[in-house]
Amino acid sequence: MGNEPAHTITRYDQELDRLRGIVARMGGLVERQTAQAIAAVVNQNEEAALEPPELDPEVDALEREAEMLAIRILALRAPMAVDLRVIVAVLKMSGDLERIGDYASSIARRAAKVEVLDGAISFSALRAMARLVQENLHMAVESMVENDAERAQEVWKADTAVDELYTTMFRELVTYMMEDPRKIGPCIHLLFVAKNLERIGDHATNIAERVYYAVTGEMLPSVRPRGGAARTNIEQPE
Amino acid sequence: MSIEVPVKTAGMTQPDSAIAPKEAPHPVAMQVKGLNFYYGTSHALHDISLDFPERSVTGMIGPSGCGKSTLLRVLNRMYDLYPGQRATGEVIFDKQNILHSGVDLNVLRSRIGMVFQKPTPFPMSIYDNIAFGIRLHERVSRSEMDGRVEDALRRVALWSEVQDRLSASATALSGGQQQRLCIARTIAVRPEVILLDEPTSALDPVSTARIEELLDELKTEFTIAIVTHNMQQAARCADQVAFFYMGRLIEVDSTARMFTTPREQQTQDYITGRFG
Repeated sequence: MGNEPAHTITRYDQELDRLRGIVARMGGLVERQTAQAIAAVVNQNEEAALEPPELDPEVDALEREAEMLAIRILALRAPMAVDLRVIVAVLKMSGDLERIGDYASSIARRAAKVEVLDGAISFSALRAMARLVQENLHMAVESMVENDAERAQEVWKADTAVDELYTTMFRELVTYMMEDPRKIGPCIHLLFVAKNLERIGDHATNIAERVYYAVTGEMLPSVRPRGGAARTNIEQPE
Repeated sequence: MSIEVPVKTAGMTQPDSAIAPKEAPHPVAMQVKGLNFYYGTSHALHDISLDFPERSVTGMIGPSGCGKSTLLRVLNRMYDLYPGQRATGEVIFDKQNILHSGVDLNVLRSRIGMVFQKPTPFPMSIYDNIAFGIRLHERVSRSEMDGRVEDALRRVALWSEVQDRLSASATALSGGQQQRLCIARTIAVRPEVILLDEPTSALDPVSTARIEELLDELKTEFTIAIVTHNMQQAARCADQVAFFYMGRLIEVDSTARMFTTPREQQTQDYITGRFG
């Protein structure tokens, strides 16, 4: 996707470069939002909790900018083949990135509410999940910036582990809530934190799928490897 | 800002049929096999093999001099009009190789009609422009001729515009009307294949849209091959698209696939505007 020879019309190249630049900037911002949100919860860092919501308006503005520019290019350049695939991918990826920013802000806002649980329950599953999600998001953004279909496919495969960790956390928290109903409030906030992390992982996977399509022209299979059995337990808790 | 999370969807993946819907393949109306073409000593087409499916539109694209118009001119032996031009290989039409010397060219050209870039009305009345071709090949009564002329003009959506002045000169029509008249003249002799060589390059957007709309209707009955410089036109009109470059057929595929996911780098570079 950025590795093609130049267009005869230089302005067209400049517009496509600008479009890629916008989503690359969005990628950097939401990675930052996610990292700070995780730090806010896992390390109980109050300052870190402020940053994700503060960055949100910038991410939203970039999404709108990407959308307007993409529409403009579609209307004025009638893009074909790889250009068309890149523009459609950017339109969808900018939506995914914006959602990731929202989830990160939601996590950050819950940080203070789960403070009471610190020490009472182990955050190890949450830490592991957070690390994986951050890695996947980073790889997804990198694959996007570098047009790397192989790395995109790695992200796509790696999301299963996140789903499994989420199931573990779910069980752990349900058990804890049954043992101590006074902690149900904070536990539910923590559960939402985990769910939001899982959703960030899903959007990272979506980004990877779109990169893969833009670069190769092929769609990844509609069913991706994931913890199917574990999922049933989440939807029908005993 | 979201707390309630949306239901997971299947992501972007979708069945392949959304890009290239699977239809029962049309039988092949015309088949080019191992075709080479020479202008004197200049080798203009290299080993072309291409099927033209029946009752569908094949778009031929490529930069100037790539051989797409040359191929079109081979398909009804138009090149025979010029000395020093020759073709080898096969063009199978109705189980016969039309490149054979024994082929009756008048009959061939009535079965494989052609429309050119510039409208070419004859300097005679609108009525006679249509009747001219029919008279060459058939003997029909006056009333039958009237019916054939009206039918041809109706099919190209020209009837309502000219029915009151059929005896007026065809050269007085607008460019778009003239081109539709030429198409009417072509279909009036009831061909099986229609070849169009950049039929709208001299027309305004509205006339162009009318011709494109017309192609959509005509393809239910005729096999159509269209050469065009306008990629958007190929995208709008064609069912399959063939890309030519320097006398070679680089790639042929369904139109949707050619314009979203071409297999060859040269095709991609051309259709995305990266060379030429």
